[in-house]
Amino acid sequence: MAVLSRAERRHFPDWDDPTQCLFHRVAVDEALCDGCKLCVVVCPANVLELYGEKGERKARVKESFRGCASCNNCRAICESGAIAATRAYDFVGYYRQLGRGEFSMPRKF
Amino acid sequence: MGATADPHRPPAVLVESPMFERPMSHGSDTPAGVEAPGQIEKKAGRGAKIARVPEGADWNAVEEVMLRRRSIRQYKREQVPAHLIRRMLEVGRYAPSQGNCQPWKFVVVRDADMIQGMEDFCVESCTKLSRGLDYASYRRGSVKHLVTRAKAKLFNRLSPNMLHPVPVAAITAIAQGRFAVFHRAPTVILLLMDTRGIGTPEIDIGICGTNIVLAAQSLGLGTCWIGFSKFLNKSREWCARLGVEKPYEISEAITVGYPVGDPQNLIARDTHEIAWFEGGKREIFY
Repeated sequence: MAVLSRAERRHFPDWDDPTQCLFHRVAVDEALCDGCKLCVVVCPANVLELYGEKGERKARVKESFRGCASCNNCRAICESGAIAATRAYDFVGYYRQLGRGEFSMPRKF
Repeated sequence: MGATADPHRPPAVLVESPMFERPMSHGSDTPAGVEAPGQIEKKAGRGAKIARVPEGADWNAVEEVMLRRRSIRQYKREQVPAHLIRRMLEVGRYAPSQGNCQPWKFVVVRDADMIQGMEDFCVESCTKLSRGLDYASYRRGSVKHLVTRAKAKLFNRLSPNMLHPVPVAAITAIAQGRFAVFHRAPTVILLLMDTRGIGTPEIDIGICGTNIVLAAQSLGLGTCWIGFSKFLNKSREWCARLGVEKPYEISEAITVGYPVGDPQNLIARDTHEIAWFEGGKREIFY
């Protein structure tokens, strides 16, 4: 529903509650990731890290949920197309996203 | 005189892609603002051609620039040549504004130590804000957490735009040194706003900056909008140093530099509701 209820308008989500602040939704295709670290370097929210054995490192999202703004800079810089934010961030209450459709690549009309 | 003898006359066939293949019409001795006669014959007047763009056509150069622009926060150390900055500001000058009021003024900072000074001041401001309001950085259940949370909830209600969870997370990240304000960019452009501007001058600043940012992208440069630059307005010392005086204030800043890597892949973004009224009906698209 693309309208905020009265209760929602009055509810400001807890910044430290992952059930109220739905930040990162970043997917990494491990088969494609070559561990070049560029995404980790450019991520403005600092939510990415490398893990694994030397020579086989892969990118992943850190445990901490806070920060990712779905900016997709990781996708923009990834040469192998292994990483992408797959949804916008969302919140409960006052900041709930309204009137949004699915994530989409630029479409031609 | 034959058509080809006129140096200002553009070549005859240039109509397919009028957006950007159109030549600049006047040469050095054509009076400013006067189009070459060849162009007037071809494009203007009642018989002017309409550019037909077929359905599903590729993006043109302008659209490509818009689609591939990202906010760049990792820059190479190399300074951007001064003439490119001038070039960007030049197109900024041509941004539309309410009543043509042009409520902008630019301050360009290219000295690393000065940018570092601005950074230090803004980081200090973020640290104060984060300590005072961001309860997420305190242990849940602690007194500090309780008190800060109560304060933050109140401020959140009073100032819901500023205390959106995303900038709050950014402020704490800056305070903890995990994020920066000016991203060590070699050049920072401050967009000063004339607060007497017509209507909503903030919007005009946004449009002007968009021109600047898109020009930069087309020149192979990376940029990022820096809203936290507004903290500098609170510092008398910095206002004096930067020459920010009433009725002007810092509205936004744009960092400029060569991006690290090649962040040019197209990306997915949210789609937004489009209400479409046509033929007596209302339809919703995304």
